[in-house]
Amino acid sequence: MKPFLSNEQIQQMADHYGAPLFIVDCDQVRKQYLALQEALPGVDFFYAVKAFPNDAVISTLKGLGAGFDLATKGEVDQVQRHFVNPRETIHTHPIKKDSEIKAALRFGCTTFVVDNIAELEKFVKYRHRVGLLLRVSFRSETAKVDLSRKFGCSADKAMQLIHRAQQMGIHIKGLSFHVGSQSATPATHVQAIEACADIINKCPIPLNMLDIGGGFPVNYDGSTADIYDFCQPIREALKQIPKDVHIIAEPGRFIAAPSAMTISSVVGKAVRGNTTWYYLDDGVYGSYSGRLFDHAQYPIRTLKSGELKPCVLAGPTCDSIDVIEEEIMLPELEIGDLVIGEMMGAYTAATATDFNSLERAKIIEINIVAESGHLKIVG
Amino acid sequence: MSRQWIETLYDAFGQSFNVDKVYFESKTEHQHLMIFHNAKFGRMMVLDGIVQTTEKDEFIYHEMLTHVPILAHGNVKRVLIIGGGDGGILREVCQHASIEHVTQVEIDQAVIDMAKEYLPNHSNGAFDDPRANIVIDDGINFINQTNEKFDVIISDSTDPIGPGEVLFTSPFYEGCKRCLNEGGILATQNGVAFMQIDEVTTTAKRLAQVFEDVTFYGASVPTYVGGIMTFAWASDNAANRKVDMDTLTKRYNASGIKTRYYNPAIHQACFALPQYIVDELNSFDK
Repeated sequence: MKPFLSNEQIQQMADHYGAPLFIVDCDQVRKQYLALQEALPGVDFFYAVKAFPNDAVISTLKGLGAGFDLATKGEVDQVQRHFVNPRETIHTHPIKKDSEIKAALRFGCTTFVVDNIAELEKFVKYRHRVGLLLRVSFRSETAKVDLSRKFGCSADKAMQLIHRAQQMGIHIKGLSFHVGSQSATPATHVQAIEACADIINKCPIPLNMLDIGGGFPVNYDGSTADIYDFCQPIREALKQIPKDVHIIAEPGRFIAAPSAMTISSVVGKAVRGNTTWYYLDDGVYGSYSGRLFDHAQYPIRTLKSGELKPCVLAGPTCDSIDVIEEEIMLPELEIGDLVIGEMMGAYTAATATDFNSLERAKIIEINIVAESGHLKIVG
Repeated sequence: MSRQWIETLYDAFGQSFNVDKVYFESKTEHQHLMIFHNAKFGRMMVLDGIVQTTEKDEFIYHEMLTHVPILAHGNVKRVLIIGGGDGGILREVCQHASIEHVTQVEIDQAVIDMAKEYLPNHSNGAFDDPRANIVIDDGINFINQTNEKFDVIISDSTDPIGPGEVLFTSPFYEGCKRCLNEGGILATQNGVAFMQIDEVTTTAKRLAQVFEDVTFYGASVPTYVGGIMTFAWASDNAANRKVDMDTLTKRYNASGIKTRYYNPAIHQACFALPQYIVDELNSFDK
């Protein structure tokens, strides 16, 4: 992925706004969305707002006709502020409080996800209004973040739950799965699609929606991910799904990750043992929170050239866990020098904290295009 | 293709309306509100993705929720309206010259303000009627705190999901009973039974705990789509819903009200319920 700001621009940004900065490029959002659309024709995409709940990203995607995957009342409120058509949203948290269900319903989102009886029972009182997706679990051997351990019923339980829902007068309208974030191969997607096709074909009631989740990978090592090739087996597998079934997906990381970079500056420098420690004004309690929560390792560079030496990059808090990289090769840095984190849009700012009462990195959005005034649907 | 608004009340089904002109759209403290023009229904107000009222068909709803209890009672002096921020019920109540006082309790001043500005025909000046006392409060708060008594209470609420929820609960019904004079009547908006039969069942169960005589009556309101809209009816005097045709006609003529849907024959007929509702009501009696 080519950096979306030149070194001069990065320096200008830092001079103008001051570090730490979190730069979001809406052009990248558009590129990623369109690439995914091309890779999976016929699939409708619902951006997983949780990955990066940023207004400019939401408005960019809304302008492209994307839907939104919501999991909480806060996310409902955010898309409502953008006047997103509620029919273009799905609520995918498998476990919810009643107040969460109610907030989504009041907004007008009527698609929810369940994977167990207790959750199904919560919908008895809303049964005349909702259409539910049953989340089925398929574990990916390769996903970085395994989402089929915490959520999803087994494929053989699915039919039982569908039957139970029918007895309760609740409409199960389709199936969903999420193989996990950042899959290395599409094998689990394919396996899950095949298993879902089997359930859909055998199910006595028509299931008209299949949510194939996310897991579309981005490359954190700087190489160029080819999503079209990655999706080739998925495209093939989807041919087994009956024509009437509406196929949707919930990409988050794929859209958000390449769309942001961070600019931090060196605020301290010490030699401990034989290693130089650089202390930055952003760390794992801030934009680099994904180092911990998301198990992500971001491409990090500086604007300097020179001999590369092993060093430690630490964050600004007093906590010893606040270390971004234990051993990274960088040129000799001085206080005030900039450190750039690439591919930092997903599960970064979203999970940053206010620990130590440190201000979060300032978010700067670039290449924003105003929302189109020619919306087909208003909500 | 013209701009459209789709109702999001049901997942599997939704009526849609061409939006010819948006007069107002906002997210207030309590709800998301929009008022727009549609060629078929005139100005429409929608709240939280659900049609609340339209200029063209509002008379059916407002006349039926107002005149059925008032003329059934026959000697109404004091009326309490819960909700009804658009002013349609207030307008109909104020048509009755014999009514001395009406209190309206609406949770959201913004709804009244918007309705006055953009749906002026709904209230038709009724907010300025000297007999009207407008209170901005949660309906259940008011009911729990007031010492006033009323002959008829009309609950013109939103859908049970949202701020209107409390107006479908037992404590609210108990409070209404306390605020009713002897022989008084509670009439409430209760949804479209064919689409959401649970609303009928739940309300019937709860009201039956509090009142001697509980039933429903119906009217078809085009934009409350899906068959007849039901109104819940609760009173301790069963005679209230069995008023004969002659008496109703005399009361109707004496009242001097102008109606476009309501008449004494409709009044008598509206208590006849389709068998799918009767069966549902019988299912828990046994």
